[in-house]
Amino acid sequence: MKQHGLAAALLAAIIWIVPWSSAQADTGQKAGETVKIAGEIIDSWCYLTEIMYPLGTAHHQCAVWCAVGGIPVGILSDDGTPYILLSFQGNDQSVANPALLDLQTHHVVLEGQAFERDGMHYLVADRLVEDNGITNMTEEDYGIQPFGE
Amino acid sequence: MKYTIAVLSLVLSAAWSAGALAAESWGLPEEEETRFEAMVVDTLCELTGDCPDKCGGGMRQLSLLTDEGELILPIKNVVAFAGTTVELAGFCGKRVIADGLFSTNRGVKVFALQFVREAPDGKWRRANRFLNLWAEANGVDPKSNAAQQWFRNDPTVITIIERDGKLGTGK
Repeated sequence: MKQHGLAAALLAAIIWIVPWSSAQADTGQKAGETVKIAGEIIDSWCYLTEIMYPLGTAHHQCAVWCAVGGIPVGILSDDGTPYILLSFQGNDQSVANPALLDLQTHHVVLEGQAFERDGMHYLVADRLVEDNGITNMTEEDYGIQPFGE
Repeated sequence: MKYTIAVLSLVLSAAWSAGALAAESWGLPEEEETRFEAMVVDTLCELTGDCPDKCGGGMRQLSLLTDEGELILPIKNVVAFAGTTVELAGFCGKRVIADGLFSTNRGVKVFALQFVREAPDGKWRRANRFLNLWAEANGVDPKSNAAQQWFRNDPTVITIIERDGKLGTGK
């Protein structure tokens, strides 16, 4: 009798677990690598192509133009790796995200999930841990990019 | 004579469709003119499996997924300081032929989209929809100086620059 009870309990567990596992797999959610990244919020186009000096106060106005224009916003980590930001603090708007417009050129610390695909690094930034404001004063050396005014 | 003109027209027409819309050099680092076929996908969806309808309705960065499985993020269209989601959103989930430039720098390959059409034989479109849509949203002629200099006249840009200054430091 005890064996029948044990078998029934196991069967019930299997019936419950298998559909639950399948349902989990069906969501298709893929996790990246959990990371904490410190760096400067950048305009990905100007940084990656170096068509002008792309960092700090010298490039701030241009970075705002590009972010409003829908060019991907990124973060250049302090170790020199550029990441494209695909969401920010739970908001999946990565085209002209208002919160990121206000963070252009700021040095920040972000926590989230990092992904790498075909040589490009991406970040799903779940949390803004620190906002240190603009710390990279480059205008004395580089003027205002790209038009000088 | 009529036959000659007809043949000439055909040749010029073929040249227009095949060559006139070819990528234009911008002098980028390790620049490579390119044309390839790919599917328009939502980048965040492709990486994480978080996939809303219509690739996020124009609010997410879109990518081009080739048959070889390469995910290419187009970063730039042909309008000054503007990106490509507005150029590709209408093609979400569809195959397109993308024409433009690869540039490899700092160890990363980026793509600038200059022309696009639905595969296999849609009509070529210059990747400058951003300008027309911005002009329409702001009630100006797309050919006006205000539209051509959209980045100086955009209300959001003006608000940010007036608040934070061109350097972002309030100066």
